Amino acid sequence: MKIGIPKSLLYYYYYPLWKTYFEELGFEVVSTPATSKSIIDLGIKHSVPELCVPIKVYIGHFLKLLEENVDYIYVPRFISVLKGQYFCPKFMGLPDMIRHSFEGIEEKMLMPSITAKNDNIAEYNNFRPLEEKLAISPKANKKALEKACKIWESFRNYCYLGYTVVEASDLALGNIKEAKILPAKASVTIGVVGYVYNLYDSYISMDIVKKLREMDVSVKTFEMLNENSLNKKIKTMAKNLFWTFSDKLIGAGYSFYDDENIDGVIHVTAFGCGPDSFIGKLLELDSPVYEKPFMTIRVDEHSGENHLQTRIEAFVDMIKRKKLKAKRGA
Amino acid sequence: MRVSFPYMGTTVVYKKLLELLGHEVIMPPKPSQHTINLGVKYSPEFACFPMKVITGSYLQAAELGAEVIITSGGHGPCRAGFYEQVHRRILKEEGFDIDFIVFNSMFRDSKQFFKNIMKLKGNSSWLKVGQSLFMVYDMIRKLDKLEKRVQKIRAYEIKKGEATRVWDIIQNQFDRANCKGSIQKAFYDGSQQLDQIKTYNVNEKEKMRIGIVGEIYVVMEASINMKMEELLGNLGAEVERSQYLSQWVAYNALPAFINQTHEVEILKKGEPYIPINIGGHAKQTVGHIVDYSQRGFDGVIHLMPFGCLPELVSQSIIPKISQSLNIPVLTLSIDEQSGTANSLTRVEAFIDLIKGKRIKKIS
Repeated sequence: MKIGIPKSLLYYYYYPLWKTYFEELGFEVVSTPATSKSIIDLGIKHSVPELCVPIKVYIGHFLKLLEENVDYIYVPRFISVLKGQYFCPKFMGLPDMIRHSFEGIEEKMLMPSITAKNDNIAEYNNFRPLEEKLAISPKANKKALEKACKIWESFRNYCYLGYTVVEASDLALGNIKEAKILPAKASVTIGVVGYVYNLYDSYISMDIVKKLREMDVSVKTFEMLNENSLNKKIKTMAKNLFWTFSDKLIGAGYSFYDDENIDGVIHVTAFGCGPDSFIGKLLELDSPVYEKPFMTIRVDEHSGENHLQTRIEAFVDMIKRKKLKAKRGA
Repeated sequence: MRVSFPYMGTTVVYKKLLELLGHEVIMPPKPSQHTINLGVKYSPEFACFPMKVITGSYLQAAELGAEVIITSGGHGPCRAGFYEQVHRRILKEEGFDIDFIVFNSMFRDSKQFFKNIMKLKGNSSWLKVGQSLFMVYDMIRKLDKLEKRVQKIRAYEIKKGEATRVWDIIQNQFDRANCKGSIQKAFYDGSQQLDQIKTYNVNEKEKMRIGIVGEIYVVMEASINMKMEELLGNLGAEVERSQYLSQWVAYNALPAFINQTHEVEILKKGEPYIPINIGGHAKQTVGHIVDYSQRGFDGVIHLMPFGCLPELVSQSIIPKISQSLNIPVLTLSIDEQSGTANSLTRVEAFIDLIKGKRIKKIS
């Protein structure tokens, strides 16, 4: 039996877990190719115009999977991965949007609700709803979960070492052995604030991380930060955001502001992202307080690669010049 | 304390409650183009429209000398729960030192909730607080009753605009009332005035009824939704909103196990489409559409702020509901680019279609 997983949204964060889990149970896992113009167009055509880009991309991938003759498509309903916090309403209503938009699709969808105590969603209750539809025994289910959990933990450990999620995912799944993709000590370090599904979708973000690294810049993102220090940072805010990943992002943003080794912060956000509109504003207002350069890059379905290149080059040049000046002055 | 609050719907009642508790109330001006311009200038570009209008209102209230702003909080997943944090920061940036009293859920942080109550209570006795609360709730209910009548009469009035004029007078009368007797009198006078409006006699079968659903702020606040109720009324349709203040209060003030309000029923009707509460009013929106179709309404206007997270989910589902229940729905997304003529044309066309559908049914 083939299970399809759209290569979009939290795929980037949970793929090692999902892939291991389903394969351990003896299913074949099919995912879509990297986002392309045709996939985005498919998504745009079948969704409400005001939706944000990542959701449109997800719908595009979903429809692409339908062409692949899979038996089921895994569309989990993410509700909460931390007590008292939720996901963006669009995540919580994602299966509803899809099942009510296309006729007769509901039987093909696996849509368990995900509620966990922390990021590690490998809890039995999140996967129990699959047992009936996929005809698996509770024992096999639990065993597969255990294995998946281990793989996911090793994936996160690679992240903390400074690998991007894409690299970490490959390393954890054993697709590549030890890789020398970590750049050597670079002259400039930039903190990039952005969701995994925007940053690492090379079509949406136009490979901003790679572009920065090519400019001899070392990049830090939220998933590379230690969970404890991130939580400490989040706790200092007067009121926390109630979306887990947005909370992590703003925590990361302030950690970058506080970190002496980080020279500037770039916020990558998708057109129409609700939570980001607040995070971006708060970080923007606080940038002069911490005296750190801050830039927002807003991406949407229209790609304009040259403008991105120019803007990040200018940003990096500005930081380099500032550093040079400080050195001369000293 | 010179207090202020966000402007939404029948604001007399918030004003009354605060006045009864002995505070000086700074009424934020009714949202105008100037309010919207101010809000747009200082808010995040992609913030939802209510947030921008409220930013504008706060800035105006601050200029008028407000010291404290009272507002509701929340814990998501809709963005509205975080408004106050961003507003605080924006006002500070603009040099206004304003204190916020935010009512978050009583069950999350009961200490803070109690502190807020004490601040509002000021020097009044508990008896006074209780009396004031009951009086204001009574007022809300009476106002809503009258407003529902206005929404019906407006469709058939002979002199256009009369019902709206009377409604303004009624609100003023309530504003001046400050004891049980005078509220009763205001209600009585109001009913009388409504009775006096001359209307056409329309056959029960020919009456057209339209429901308005959507996000609470754009549904309740006429000054930013292009006066949708008046517009529909003038086109000859009776209107019912999905949100009334009295319903909102009853639903939110009662604990779940004795909560038998209409809203609970509505949520149940929305369940087949959106099984869980995804924040905002998305589930209510779909529930109300189902409810209106069961009650034989002719159509539904769905209002949402541009980019509203929960309403986008309901908007995606609406075509399916509309098709399976055979009820026309028009979604209008509202933001600072008002483009009134465009929306007016769309609403007119929508009403024409409904009329056409009826003729077809009869023949």
